[in-house]
Amino acid sequence: MRRLCAAALLCAALPLPAAMHVMVVGGLGGEPQFEERFGQWSEQVASGSATAAGSPDRVHRFVGAEARREAIEGRLRQLATQLNADDQFVLVLLGHGSYDGSEYRFNIPGPDLTGSQLLALLDRIPATVSQLVVNATSASGAVLERWQRPHRIVVTATRSGGERVATRFGGYWAEALASGEADRDKDGRVTAQEAYDFAVRRVEDAYKADAAVVTEHARMAGGDAASFVVARLGGEALFAGDRELVALRAQQDEVERRVDALRAQKTQLVEDDYYARLEPVLLEMARLGARIEARLAALGVAGDRP
Amino acid sequence: MKHPSAFVLPLAVMALGLSLSGVAPAQQIDYDPGRADALRRCDDPLLRGRQEQASRCYRALLTRAEPLLRAEAQWALGDFQAANQAFRDAVAAAADDPRPRVRWGRLFLAAGQYQDAMRLFQEALEIAPRDYGARVASASVAAERFSGDVSDSLRELLDEDQGRIEAHLVAARVAIENGRMEEARSSAERALELAQAQRRAPLEAQTLLAAVEVIGHRDPARWTRAALAYNPRYGTLFEELGYFEVIRRRYREAEGWYARAVEVQPDLWSAHRERGLNLLRLGEVDGARASLTRAYSGDRFSTATVNTLRLLDSFDQYEFIDSRDPPLRLQLHRKEAAALRPYVAQLARQSIATFAQRYGYTPTEPVTIELYPEHDDFGVRTAGLPGIGLLGVTFGHVVAMDSPSGRQSGDFHWGSTLWHEMAHVFTLSATQHRVPRWLSEGLSMFEEWRTGPTPGVSVGPDLVEAFIADKLLPVARLDEGFLRPAYENQVQISYMQAGLVCLFAEQRWGFAKLVEFLHAFREDITTADAVRRVFAVEPEAFDAEFQAFMKQRFAPYIAQPKRWLEQMRAALTARDEKNWAAARTAARAGIELLPEFTAGGNAYQTLATAEEGAGNKAAAIEALRAWRKAGGWDPQGLRKLAQLLVEAGNQSEAAEVLDAVNYVDPLAPAGHAELGELLLATNRPADALREYQVLLALAPLDTAGANYGLARAARATGDAAAARRHLLQALETAPRFRPAQKLLLEMTGEESP
Repeated sequence: MRRLCAAALLCAALPLPAAMHVMVVGGLGGEPQFEERFGQWSEQVASGSATAAGSPDRVHRFVGAEARREAIEGRLRQLATQLNADDQFVLVLLGHGSYDGSEYRFNIPGPDLTGSQLLALLDRIPATVSQLVVNATSASGAVLERWQRPHRIVVTATRSGGERVATRFGGYWAEALASGEADRDKDGRVTAQEAYDFAVRRVEDAYKADAAVVTEHARMAGGDAASFVVARLGGEALFAGDRELVALRAQQDEVERRVDALRAQKTQLVEDDYYARLEPVLLEMARLGARIEARLAALGVAGDRP
Repeated sequence: MKHPSAFVLPLAVMALGLSLSGVAPAQQIDYDPGRADALRRCDDPLLRGRQEQASRCYRALLTRAEPLLRAEAQWALGDFQAANQAFRDAVAAAADDPRPRVRWGRLFLAAGQYQDAMRLFQEALEIAPRDYGARVASASVAAERFSGDVSDSLRELLDEDQGRIEAHLVAARVAIENGRMEEARSSAERALELAQAQRRAPLEAQTLLAAVEVIGHRDPARWTRAALAYNPRYGTLFEELGYFEVIRRRYREAEGWYARAVEVQPDLWSAHRERGLNLLRLGEVDGARASLTRAYSGDRFSTATVNTLRLLDSFDQYEFIDSRDPPLRLQLHRKEAAALRPYVAQLARQSIATFAQRYGYTPTEPVTIELYPEHDDFGVRTAGLPGIGLLGVTFGHVVAMDSPSGRQSGDFHWGSTLWHEMAHVFTLSATQHRVPRWLSEGLSMFEEWRTGPTPGVSVGPDLVEAFIADKLLPVARLDEGFLRPAYENQVQISYMQAGLVCLFAEQRWGFAKLVEFLHAFREDITTADAVRRVFAVEPEAFDAEFQAFMKQRFAPYIAQPKRWLEQMRAALTARDEKNWAAARTAARAGIELLPEFTAGGNAYQTLATAEEGAGNKAAAIEALRAWRKAGGWDPQGLRKLAQLLVEAGNQSEAAEVLDAVNYVDPLAPAGHAELGELLLATNRPADALREYQVLLALAPLDTAGANYGLARAARATGDAAAARRHLLQALETAPRFRPAQKLLLEMTGEESP
């Protein structure tokens, strides 16, 4: 059972070591079905991102008439001055994009935002701030290389600017932020890598189910996507603030390193021997899990994760 | 054989895509009285099997000035490219003469390029609308492609000139294909008399007369001896006999004729090809490969040969899974074998048990079921060519069909298709392949409705409209609707009609009589005689009763034919406008008018949407239940019903509904996880185990979740060792996976459940 509300409330009281700020833009749909779709996706992304940001206050959503260039530029400029070193920033663009061979454009009400303009705004954010930019629009592949920076992970819904058909990737990214299935290692955190893998797989499955030619091929580049948390599920958000939980989490980390070490030996061991060695370590982990759950219960939050 | 409901394509032959290059296809006999004497002098040794003499004769014509002569000589000598060019020259040189066009078209026809051939025949007819050669050639193409009834064209040609051999030959062939054997014999005998009188080769007439004997279970030796006496190397005789066996689905008998064809004429590459394709129908892959390789050695340009050899090369990407009791062989592509196997095997076994009990017959050979993820591979498997408009085909004990991955999700119900094809296995085998096409298809449809995974007589308005327009055929002629459709969707209509005829017979005389009717075809008997013998009524009386049955069954629709469409449109419009009350009223009216319509846009699902929109979920469930009972199977509709049932707390029925989705859309990972949970919750661990195994086979992202499900299912079935291993595998991937941790602690006794 998910207790996101309880987690969010407690998170507000227990500040995270570094802040994450999220900006979600739902672009111009052009048709009612796309307007509705982009609005819905942006809402889902905002809601899921709030679990990682720790508070809905750190998530800004621009959709419909609000998603105009001045508003987006203004917020990005503001963030560039407000973000602290070690903070994290996530930008998610949902909607239609286009590429004329030299310039990418994000379609929004009023004048479009070009790839160059968005890049300049993103580059104003200090390099000490880890960034994740998810451009889920059509033709988004055009910006992948240009936007990439050492501190910035860039995800695009398409392989290149030539993939111009409306994409499905954004919807599945939004779904990943609340999905226990996306959280493959069941640690209660959905990383950018997990969300990306989930969305890519869902896109593949969707086109396969429709027996349709695949018109989008997502890409991701830069940074450590496996460590960049984009959503937290269940009581995970509490771990950062409670001393006892922090200590238990540290013990879990230590045990997990032993699991990793054993996994690395898997191919060299007979299968039965491998699992015989693994079981006591996993039991140790399970006992820690039980203690964490007990602590969460004491804090008033059910520890079950989806 | 099963067609998709959405579209129709010609059954027998599609565009070959064979370019005009390479080895010449076999030349048919040109009976045209206008054929030049110089050519006829060369034809004679050729048609008597004296190849060397004929070649010398034709070579001598290559220096002649007339391009048409050169073209014919080059064709006969096998220089296809040169013949093609020479025909082009002949056409250019005689702008007002239809004959070069007709002969050039014949070249294309022999190559199987029907569209090109027809274009040239059409050009000839534009020059000379009454040209006999062009008209008989056009009729020949129509007959060969099974495209409509050519009787009128032939009658007109024969009325005009009773002395033309080819018109009689085409008439004989069409009559054989339609089962009118006395008419066939008469036409072939007339063709033979004319050939002898005009001193033309009697071979084709003798071949057709031999075919009449074979089909009548008489010794054809009189005609085969006569033909071989005329031409000892005339392998085409036996190739043709093989063809007539194939179209009657007697593949074992066809093999005997093809073997003789290549024995008599070892360089008859088309016979090697047909033998190879036929051996595949018998499931004899190695023999098929050998024959096709031989065909390829002499004719590298046959699309069917090349396609099929390529397909055989791809067989190493398939798993061949043999099982006993009943003997069964599954051929599934490696990429999906693990996911499909449980469902295919289960349904195949269930169908064998069901049909064996219902029809009192057990297959004498193992049944092979082949599923092709690429529709074009299935097409090649079936006809040597891609692009066929079928879903499945049965060759006796071999069933080949599209895999669910070969089509859009929800595009076809693979489970029903398999059920349909498995019914053919029984109806064909039980009658030694003598069952008429219409009855075999009718019983397959009937079994889909009665015992298949989608019970319910699901038919659309097209069928009722055809009935109203008096387009349904009498039972004695129902085969024609399959073999030579006369209007656009007649094949589909004939499937439905055949199924309804069986349904009517069952309701009128009981199922036992229907089985007796099938078994009547163990002997050579016409449909009309079988009706008389088994149902003790004249075919006309049978038809009259069937008409009454149809009128009664579809009375609401027939009474107001336009109203159904009006109500359906109104329901959809109201639904889109979220006017739930209006949508409900119109949808209910649509259901009352034609409850059998369950396909896309049906009134049941519209009604369910309206009821749910109005907040009445119980009524929405009832609407979807009724839809399913009537034969509805769209996976989205089934998933919706399952969701509503779960919300209503009916997990057991929800599990049953989601299980049904596996026979439409088994390759979507999400459904298996959900079904696995429901099956565990409803104490069906063995089925849950299957679902999680399939889920894992589909390489889900969430392997930890799948292994955790497997662990719980295995534990519930009492397999503690497997449960523990899957649990460790789940935690190996996700060490912090709390539910799995809890189960581990529970299994080691450290934590209470």
